[in-house]
Amino acid sequence: MFPKFSLRSMFHGAGGGNDIQWCFSQVKGAVDDDVAEADIISTVEFNHSGELLATGDKGGRVVIFQQEQENKIQSHSRGEYNVYSTFQSHEPEFDYLKSLEIEEKINKIRWLPQKNAAQFLLSTNDKTIKLWKISERDKRPEGYNLKEEDGRYRDPTTVTTLRVPVFRPMDLMVEASPRRIFANAHTYHINSISINSDYETYLSADDLRINLWHLEITDRSFNIVDIKPANMEELTEVITAAEFHPNSCNTFVYSSSKGTIRLCDMRASALCDRHSKLFEEPEDPSNRSFFSEIISSISDVKFSHSGRYMMTRDYLSVKIWDLNMENRPVETYQVHEYLRSKLCSLYENDCIFDKFECCWNGCDSVVMTGSYNNFFRMFDRNTKRDITLEASRENNKPRTVLKPRKVCASGKRKKDEISVDSLDFNKKILHTAWHPKENIIAVATTNNLYIFQDKVN
Amino acid sequence: MEVQKEAQRIMTLSVWKMYHSRMQRGGLRLHRSLQLSLVMRSARELYLSAKVEAHEPEVSLQPARSPDPRLHPPREAEAEAEAAPLDGEQPSPEPMDTQEAPRAEEAPARGAPRPAKVSRKRRSSSLSDGGDVGLVPSKKARLEEEEEKEGASSEVPDRLQPSPAQAEGAFPNLARVLQRRFSGLLNCNPAAPPTAPPACEAKPACRPADSMLNVLVRTVVAF
Repeated sequence: MFPKFSLRSMFHGAGGGNDIQWCFSQVKGAVDDDVAEADIISTVEFNHSGELLATGDKGGRVVIFQQEQENKIQSHSRGEYNVYSTFQSHEPEFDYLKSLEIEEKINKIRWLPQKNAAQFLLSTNDKTIKLWKISERDKRPEGYNLKEEDGRYRDPTTVTTLRVPVFRPMDLMVEASPRRIFANAHTYHINSISINSDYETYLSADDLRINLWHLEITDRSFNIVDIKPANMEELTEVITAAEFHPNSCNTFVYSSSKGTIRLCDMRASALCDRHSKLFEEPEDPSNRSFFSEIISSISDVKFSHSGRYMMTRDYLSVKIWDLNMENRPVETYQVHEYLRSKLCSLYENDCIFDKFECCWNGCDSVVMTGSYNNFFRMFDRNTKRDITLEASRENNKPRTVLKPRKVCASGKRKKDEISVDSLDFNKKILHTAWHPKENIIAVATTNNLYIFQDKVN
Repeated sequence: MEVQKEAQRIMTLSVWKMYHSRMQRGGLRLHRSLQLSLVMRSARELYLSAKVEAHEPEVSLQPARSPDPRLHPPREAEAEAEAAPLDGEQPSPEPMDTQEAPRAEEAPARGAPRPAKVSRKRRSSSLSDGGDVGLVPSKKARLEEEEEKEGASSEVPDRLQPSPAQAEGAFPNLARVLQRRFSGLLNCNPAAPPTAPPACEAKPACRPADSMLNVLVRTVVAF
């Protein structure tokens, strides 16, 4: 039932333009406007099947939602996501040597592909990565000879007969346990983790270094990129994101604060300081401004599922790069060009430092990223159409089709348009995720998680 | 003139942000610090180039003017200490040229205590205070900075030489003051304790060599 719907919608060019109608499905999180800082969502990630959706927050907590398996024939929507497991992944720590408090905020979550009944994910804060096992328990043994049902031990002398304990069903219990803790490998703040396609190793990146880990080994990691200069006065750029290639286990990329992306091949040398490819677009001189340098900083880099392309997000745009072409991106999409003239104000209120993420849909035909005023944008690479939608509780009746939004940059504002000056810059969508197989998206506002799906007839 | 004011405003704002970022949980963010220093550098270049263009009319006013610009940044630092909002209270709506009367009028209107007037009183306690009192300019402060030259970059005199004379009146002081204030920070690793006494800051050699913010030093002293 699911495959039929999703195949059909995908076949019809599942686009973010006018091909798809996005409907509200669910919203998770507190309703009130008073946002507790610990509840601010800091990462969102679907697992490989899309059945599970994990969020991390500033308080170090991970919440996993599971999609219901829809059995009704006349279902009008796909299964809902309900809370599956909640656990405290990271706690605040204090580095006594440096007198530095280490935030518990979850920077990234990455799922491992499922190998058995249990699920595994990596979660990281600024300094420590943890491997979590999430497993279900729906049976428990009953009928012990030496123990009562409540656990108390029986007096052995009262045992007159023997029985074989059996497993009986119990209410489903989901347990999360930390299986590995990868610590003390990063001097600077971890911004990315990425699991290799060999499913044995993964990388973690901070501002100046990238380390390679084996999932089974916690007491050592290999440093594969180090851009720290001998003299820190000469520091001009930092690493902002890194990711392994989805298919080639020897290839990874990392982006920099200068707007460049370097592709490295681990076969070339142990230390991949010298890139194999350097992706950089020359700056448009007409766009040069006071803040050019900082808005060119790349906040996210994501390979397409095919591995042929990669997408980068800087402050104002999304760029698609062909791995075979280094000198410029093949596609550029302006997310909110109307902010270019407001950069000074955005610098004052710190919004210019916001790190937006981006994501691909399952078939790499549409890309999505967030913006301000709880807007998020989708760009259809085939039709070249784009759409702006809003994550708002005003549209929260299930199956309500979202109305496209439009921002009026200047001049006469049309009806239903919003002027740039009316945008709420405190309402920002930094984290979005797209289901790997279906047209279901998860969009995180400050402390709420919205789930939208395409209209199913 | 507008360009100069704007550049100066942005520089001061950047300093405020850099200082404020020390207070944040999780310690100094290298990327953020780098971005702020880039903006500061751009603002400085813009300011200096605008200054060069407006060079001649201001040379004659330089001696009378020199104490005044120092007041602006410290006032902003004071505003920061009082958690003033970053809006219209930014530096120097006052022009750089000498205008005694408007400035005096503005002083009470501003509300924040004028460092020049209270500097004598506060000087004695300035070393024991944390925060921004290191930005209070005074003759004594300048002497202190000269004594702490070992912490200063040798680039200071070199960079200032080519600048026009009137720029000496404004930013070298700011630069020295900031450098004295931030030298300990800059020579620390990401975890400079916010309550480090100034004595430590005067001796960057104590700190590990991982001076990740020395790029900031170069930017700051180049004022």
